[in-house]
Amino acid sequence: MSSFKEQFEIPGRFRNISFALMAVGIVSVIVGFFMYGSHEPARFWATMLHNSVFFLLITNASMFFICATTLAMGSWQLAFRRVPEAISKCVIPLGIIALIVLLCIVLGDQHHIYHWLDKEHVQHDTILKGKAGFLNPTFFIVWTLLSIGLWIALGHKMRQLSRYLDENPLASVAEGKKYVFKSTIWSALFIVWFALTVASVTPWLWLMSIDAHWYSTMYSWYTFASSFVSGMSLIALFVIFLKNRGYLEVVTEEHLHDLGKFMFAFSIFWCYLWFSQYMLIWYANIPEETIYFKPRVQGAYRAIFFLNLIVNFFTPLLLLMRRSAKRNYTSVAILAVIIIFGHWVDFYQMVFVGPFKEHVDLNLFDFGVAAGFVGLIMFSTGRALAQAPLLAKNDPFFKESVIHHT
Amino acid sequence: MGLLRYESQTRNPLVTGHKTYHQVTEDIVRPIEAKPSKLWKIGFTISLFLLSFGAYSVYRDVVYGIGQWNLNKTVGWGWDITNFVWWVGIGHAGTLISAILLLFRQGWRTGVNRAAEAMTIFAVMCAGQFPIFHMGRVWNAFFVLPYPNTRGPLWVNFNSPLLWDVFAISTYFTVSLLFWYCGLLPDLATVRDRAKEKWRKRMYGVLSFGWTGSTKHWQRHESLSLVLAGLSTPLVLSVHTIVSFDFATSVIPGWHTTIFPPYFVAGAIFSGFAMVQTLLLIVRKVLSLEDYITLEHIEVMNKVIVLTGSIVGIAYITELFISWYGQNPYEAAAFRNRWDITTPLAWSYYLMMSCNVLSPQIFWFRKMRRNITVTFFMSIIVNVGMWFERFVIIVTSIYRDYLPSSWSTYYRPTIWEVGFYMGTFGLFFTCFFLFSKFFPVIAIAEIKHILKKSGESYKEGVGGIETQAPEEFAHEQAHAH
Repeated sequence: MSSFKEQFEIPGRFRNISFALMAVGIVSVIVGFFMYGSHEPARFWATMLHNSVFFLLITNASMFFICATTLAMGSWQLAFRRVPEAISKCVIPLGIIALIVLLCIVLGDQHHIYHWLDKEHVQHDTILKGKAGFLNPTFFIVWTLLSIGLWIALGHKMRQLSRYLDENPLASVAEGKKYVFKSTIWSALFIVWFALTVASVTPWLWLMSIDAHWYSTMYSWYTFASSFVSGMSLIALFVIFLKNRGYLEVVTEEHLHDLGKFMFAFSIFWCYLWFSQYMLIWYANIPEETIYFKPRVQGAYRAIFFLNLIVNFFTPLLLLMRRSAKRNYTSVAILAVIIIFGHWVDFYQMVFVGPFKEHVDLNLFDFGVAAGFVGLIMFSTGRALAQAPLLAKNDPFFKESVIHHT
Repeated sequence: MGLLRYESQTRNPLVTGHKTYHQVTEDIVRPIEAKPSKLWKIGFTISLFLLSFGAYSVYRDVVYGIGQWNLNKTVGWGWDITNFVWWVGIGHAGTLISAILLLFRQGWRTGVNRAAEAMTIFAVMCAGQFPIFHMGRVWNAFFVLPYPNTRGPLWVNFNSPLLWDVFAISTYFTVSLLFWYCGLLPDLATVRDRAKEKWRKRMYGVLSFGWTGSTKHWQRHESLSLVLAGLSTPLVLSVHTIVSFDFATSVIPGWHTTIFPPYFVAGAIFSGFAMVQTLLLIVRKVLSLEDYITLEHIEVMNKVIVLTGSIVGIAYITELFISWYGQNPYEAAAFRNRWDITTPLAWSYYLMMSCNVLSPQIFWFRKMRRNITVTFFMSIIVNVGMWFERFVIIVTSIYRDYLPSSWSTYYRPTIWEVGFYMGTFGLFFTCFFLFSKFFPVIAIAEIKHILKKSGESYKEGVGGIETQAPEEFAHEQAHAH
């Protein structure tokens, strides 16, 4: 009987790269603050908002994935379940950073980002005045605290449940059923909270209210699709990384194939929501609604608008369609990077067009901050992976995952 | 991998009662070979009666015109389009089960896919009647098909979502029918091979296209199923998306909203599963198929119902919220006509909310999900709720237009409008009764496929694996070949 290679040791190079990237991030934030902080604060805060919210949502997608598969009584994901668990731990540092950024924007009265913060202006703006019951600092802060706080707390509970089995293997099938029931309840709580936050209220507050007059009922589902497909890509990247290092023995190309299917299918799903939102607004042609797409399609952001579609839809559609592409570690890894980058760009246009309609301002500062977040995710996930055994081997469905085949 | 068939004992078996392959065939083919039961005859007669009532209602519509209905100046779409969308929605579960659940490798689909697919086809047939007869001059219905014609410059309007509906629904119907029929082939051959009467042998011989069960046949069958599953997956989404475009591309407050496409799809799956529950609870009882459509199947479908019901719920609340948040007075007025209980049709909004959003929450409880009476009752409630959803969207958005002088007309259907709807029930159940008499209502070949993995007696045999250490198990599997 051979035993699994369950203890992840953070490779020196991995650690160094993560530190280097974080250093780049910190330097970028400092430089950016001095460049823009005083005379163009909106530029600085838009970048911070874009990156902190994007990376928070894509790491939080890991916990959504765990809970959704738990509720569906799935087993295939158990071979690598510790990976999304580790990624979801990033929600703690990233959540705190996003919280700080959002609080700074709201309490620092950054009304170039959120117009509704300008009390004087709101007094003379009938529409924003009407929205004040929702778009006000108090509700914003309370909801943000609740969103991030409960993601962290419920995510922690889910990880704890999984870790509990490491020390206390299930003695019988009956105990297994009890365990499944218990994790179902906590997953359900997370999913319900996720639906009330990511799939509805939170993106309205954090992102949609940048274009304060505009509205779209699809907005939050669209944000969810964007962050979920990137989140799946992030999971695939870490799985491939560990596999390359000789860990996760029970993960085969069958599991990779399914991750690839998720990336493929949800890229299409993202485009479906993109199309539904865009087409309906274009078709009805109501000025209050088309104003959102005006600078995006006909203005300065035209290139980014089409890039968004090409990178996030056509690329995965064409390159991941073949079965062999989804079963190949290299192609899935490359596509995962492309998808994450593509949706980073998608979030960029969600945030930036509001405050900067006239010109596209995307420079090293943005990439530097993004690098910092990537470094932080690497560091935090690496540490979390090293803290727990790499296989959730005592889960009642683990053996199904071992023999999983598509 | 060596051990291809293993499923944890933590899951409940999907075929109960210690079945063998032979027993599976016996149990499922028995109703086809036996004489129809009394219950079947009564049900079939009622369906035929409803169908004739419907046929007469439609006859009145065709002969005397749309004036037989109570559609009025502002309510140009009433029961007809409500019924159309309702039936199309119901027609979603079958293909979802056969295509999307196939991709998600859900073993439980095998117990219910055949009946659900049949239901899909019949529901789409019913749905199609409404727009066709709503045209009034139904003899010109073929005008909707775009082909070079002698009618001069008279062409279909390619910009209209109503035309997209023609394409979407006819494609969906064709692919669903093919998918369903291809799945039937091996089972029809089974019925043929067991047949004793000459006519039966001949009939099923023709129907099964000369299926022999050779490896080559199976191989082609499997590849075809995969291709059709791939084709139907986007179709499941496209049909109701395009139905939602009928409303959402307009500028009518209450109709024009971007969330409509995915929310319509979720609602369609919701109502489709409710109808599957209604039918299968009856079928399993009448044909004694409790071992194949188990409590486990019912429970998972109830989970789908609580999930999709909640998705629909979020969409309702989102719409309601944005009608305020948007600060658009027309949008606010459209929603006021729903939530304000002093308005004439507010009752339908609250009925919809309680049937679709509140009551399915009961299925968070395992006991309720596994309770047959509750499930049956809830499946009806959901179907009622989903009918009212369409009624709310259509009628409450248009019964008070921009001209308050036309508000006074309260829309209620005539007997012939109701009769038409009843008639589609007749059509639906007539088809379903015939289907359950002449075709295997459960996919025999597919049940056999999962029997050695999820069958009760086979599951009992994997106890040894359950106690094995995970390392040892993985090691054995890795070296098994």
